[in-house]
Amino acid sequence: MREPCAPPASRMFSRVGAAVIFAALSSAAAAAQVVAPALTVASLGREIFLDPSLSASGRMACATCHDPAHAHASPNALAVQSGGANLDVAGFRSVPSLRYLNTAAFFFDKEGTPTAGFNHDGSAASLLDQAELPLLAAHEMANGDAATVAARLRMAAYADDFLRLFGNDAFDDAERALLRARVAIAAYEKSAPELHPFDSKYDYFLKGSVRLAPAELRGFALFNRKDKGNCAACHTSTRGSDGSPPLFTDYSYDNLGVPRNAQIPANANPAYFDLGLCAVNRSDGVLRRDLCGAFKVPTLRNVATRQAFFHNGLFKTLHDVVRFYVRRETNPEEFYPRDADGIVMKFDDLPRELVRNVNTLEVPYDRRPGQAPRLDDAEIDDLVAFLQALTDGYDPATNTADPARNVPLAR
Amino acid sequence: MLKSSIPLALLSVGLLGAVPVHADEASLRQEMATMRAELSALQAEVNQLRTASPATTPSIASTPPAAPNGPDAAEAPAPSGSMSIAAAASAPAPVPMASDQSTRLWGYGELNYNRPTGNASAAKADVRRAVLGFSHAFDEDTHVYGELEWEHAVVSATDPGESEVEQLYVEHQVVPAVAVRAGLSLIPLGFINERHEPANYYGVERNFVETAIIPSTWREGGVSLLGSTDSGLSWNVGLTTGFDLAKWDATAAEGRASPLGSIHQELAQANANDVSMYGAANWQGIPGFTVGGGVFSGGIGQDQKEFLAKNARLTLAEVHMRWQPGPFDLSALYAHGQISDTEALNVSFIGHPTPVPKSFWGGYVQGAWRVWQRGESSLAPFMRYEAFNTAASYAAIPQGLGVPVADTERVWTAGVNYYLTPSVVFKADYQHFNIADAVLGYGNRFNLGVGYQF
Repeated sequence: MREPCAPPASRMFSRVGAAVIFAALSSAAAAAQVVAPALTVASLGREIFLDPSLSASGRMACATCHDPAHAHASPNALAVQSGGANLDVAGFRSVPSLRYLNTAAFFFDKEGTPTAGFNHDGSAASLLDQAELPLLAAHEMANGDAATVAARLRMAAYADDFLRLFGNDAFDDAERALLRARVAIAAYEKSAPELHPFDSKYDYFLKGSVRLAPAELRGFALFNRKDKGNCAACHTSTRGSDGSPPLFTDYSYDNLGVPRNAQIPANANPAYFDLGLCAVNRSDGVLRRDLCGAFKVPTLRNVATRQAFFHNGLFKTLHDVVRFYVRRETNPEEFYPRDADGIVMKFDDLPRELVRNVNTLEVPYDRRPGQAPRLDDAEIDDLVAFLQALTDGYDPATNTADPARNVPLAR
Repeated sequence: MLKSSIPLALLSVGLLGAVPVHADEASLRQEMATMRAELSALQAEVNQLRTASPATTPSIASTPPAAPNGPDAAEAPAPSGSMSIAAAASAPAPVPMASDQSTRLWGYGELNYNRPTGNASAAKADVRRAVLGFSHAFDEDTHVYGELEWEHAVVSATDPGESEVEQLYVEHQVVPAVAVRAGLSLIPLGFINERHEPANYYGVERNFVETAIIPSTWREGGVSLLGSTDSGLSWNVGLTTGFDLAKWDATAAEGRASPLGSIHQELAQANANDVSMYGAANWQGIPGFTVGGGVFSGGIGQDQKEFLAKNARLTLAEVHMRWQPGPFDLSALYAHGQISDTEALNVSFIGHPTPVPKSFWGGYVQGAWRVWQRGESSLAPFMRYEAFNTAASYAAIPQGLGVPVADTERVWTAGVNYYLTPSVVFKADYQHFNIADAVLGYGNRFNLGVGYQF
C-alpha cells in the first residue's frame, strides 16, 4: 500500500510521462534559469527522478505521477494512478505532492499527537526509505527486485555520471546500486529548490511586497479564525518562531471521515478498508486502533493545482472539498449513501466499530443537522480564493502563478 | 554574615535621615563632607572588628536584594522596598574588603497556592521560584552581581520549569554618587521589577499591572549609568537590548496576557540590531515619600529578514508614588505602552485571535496598614484595585477584518501579609475579577503563599 502511481489507460502512449513533463517545462522555459548544474548526488537524483526507462513499462518515471508542472503531484483528476508493465495495475491512494515534505520519521509528539513520517500513512521513516517501493511495487514502476533496477540503471543515459559519483563498481552489487539510486533521489527531494520554492503570492504577501485581494484577504481571515474554517489549526499559516515561512501543515494526522470512493478498484471489495495510520505494521510496533482511518495532514501549498483531493482522490474541486469540511455534519446526506432503511451511513469508508475515530469535535465539524455550517457558499468562495494564493511560481507582474515557473529544465 | 553589614546599613540610613529636605545646598555639602569623614573613620573601625565573621557589601548606587535585612528593616517590616530605595538614593561610601570577605551569597524564594472559587479543578500549588544571588567585590569600587533562578520546581524537556540567569552585571563606582553598570540587569520601571522579592510586595502574586503591562522580571543587556544626588533624587539611564516583535505569536493567548512578556528576549541569544534606551528617576526628598517614573523606548523589529514590522518601536512609560505615613503604606502606579508600525504585520495575522496591539495600559492604587507589630513580627492587611488593558487599541485593518479591542480587566485584591520576620512572609488574599483573566482563564480566586529572602 504505497503511493499509487501510474497514468490512466487513455494516456498509455509512448513515454507519456516524459512528454507531459517536457511540455510543461517548455511552457515555463522563458522564466526558467537554464543553467546546467554541476554533477552532484542531488543532480543525479533529479535525472533518476525524471527517467521513465527505470520502470517495467518504460513509460513511468517518478515524475510521471509527481509532475513538476503540477507541483510534483498528479497531473490528472484520477483518484489513483495505474502502473505495472502495461500501466494497468491500479494503485490504492491518490498521489501526494513531493513539495515541502518534512524531514522526520514518524513519532508521537509530547502531547501524544502522531506526527511526521512519509507517505499518506507515515509508513516510510525517511525519503531514502520511501524511494524504494515505487521502484519495486507492482502497481508502480514494477521492477520487482534490485537486480532489475540495477540493470536499468546500467543502461540509463546518466550511467557514466552514476559511476563517476559512486565508483566504477557501482553497478556490480544490485542491492547497493539500488541503495545509491535511492540516496540520489532522496538528496534531490531534500535539497532541490524547485521542491521548496516558497514563492507563492502568499509568500510575497508575507514579505510585504504584494497585497492580497479583498476576497483573498477575507478567505485568509476565514482560514485562520477558530470559529470559522479553523484550517490553521493543522495547516499552519504563520511563520515559525525562527522566522521560517509557514508550511501550511503541522505534519500531524487526522481522521476526516472522507466518504468511500468507488473509483478505486480495491474498494469493490466491501471488506477492504484503507485504514491509513494504523494499516501498517511498523517496526516501532505502533498499532493503535484509535488512529485507524487517520491520514497525514498535507501542505496546502499548491493545493489549488490539484485535481483530486484527499487520500482517496474522491473530490475533484477545491470548492467541494471545503464544502465537505463544513457541511459533513450539518448535511451528511450530501456526502454519504443511505442504508436499506434510508439512514445516512456517515463515515462509510470505515468499519462501523472504527467510526468513532473520526474527528467530530473541532471546528468546523462541531455542528449538528439543522445548524448552520461554519461557512456559507460565499465564504467558501473566499476561502478558495485564498487557497489559490498558495500556488508556487507567483508572478507579481501578471498576478498569476505557475508551479513550473522555477523548475529548471532537465540537465 | 549579615551582621557585619548592620553598621553600614545603619550608617547609610542615618545619612539619608540626616539630609534636610530643604537645606541650603552649600551647608548641606559641608555637612555631607563632615559625615563622610566620620564615616571613613567608622569604616576603619569596622574593618578592625571584622576579623572572624564574613562581610557583606551593600551596592553603591543600587542595593542588592539582601539589603532589606537588618535592624532597620526590622523596625519597618512592611515591604522594605522603601528602605532599599532610600539606601539607593543615598551614597554610602564603599567598604574596603579583604579578599576572603569579597564574595557573598543571597537568595529568595516563594511557594504559592491558587484556588479559583468557581473552578476547583484549576487549583494549583507551585514552587513559583527559587533564586540564588551572588556578588563579588574585585576591589572597593568594582563588583559583579548575579542572580540565578529556577521557576516551577522541575526543569526538563517535559516539565514546566525554567532555569534562568536573571541578572548578571559588573558595576563600577565612578565617583561616590555615580556608578556604571554593564551586563544583564533589571529595567528600573515601576516598583516590582527591581524589587521583586516576596517580602517587598503585598499579595501572594505580583500585581497584574506590573506583570501584564510592565513585564516582570524584565531584564536587558546593556550599559547603564546610575546614581543619586544630595537632594534625594536617584536616577538610572541606559542603552540596552530590547524586545523582538518577530517572536509575536498571533495564534496564542500569550500576547493578550502580556504583550511585552510574550516578546521579551532575556538576553538568550537575543536579536540585538536595535538599541533601546531608558531613563528612570525617583525622588525621596521627604522621608517616607517616593515619587518617580521612567520611560523605555526602542526598536523591536530587530531588522529581521523579510519581517513586516522592521520599523516597529515600543515606548513604555510609567509613573508611581508611594507614601508611608506611620503604619500606613499607600502607593499608586500607572503605565502606558505603545507599539508603532504594526499595520502590515497585523494584516498577515488576520483571522488569528491575537494581533499586536497599538496601545496597552494599566494602573493601580494600593493601601496597607501595619495593624500589629511585636519584635520582628508584624501583620499588614492591604487592599489593591487594578485596572488594565493589554490591547486597548489596534492599528486599522482593511475590510473590518481586525479583532475587537480587549476588555479592560479590573481586579480587587484584599489580603494580608504576615511577616514572621522582615524577611519571612506568609501571605493570604482573595482576588475578585470583573472578567475571566486572560492568563488564568478564570476569575475570582483565593491565594496562599510563603516567601523568604536572605
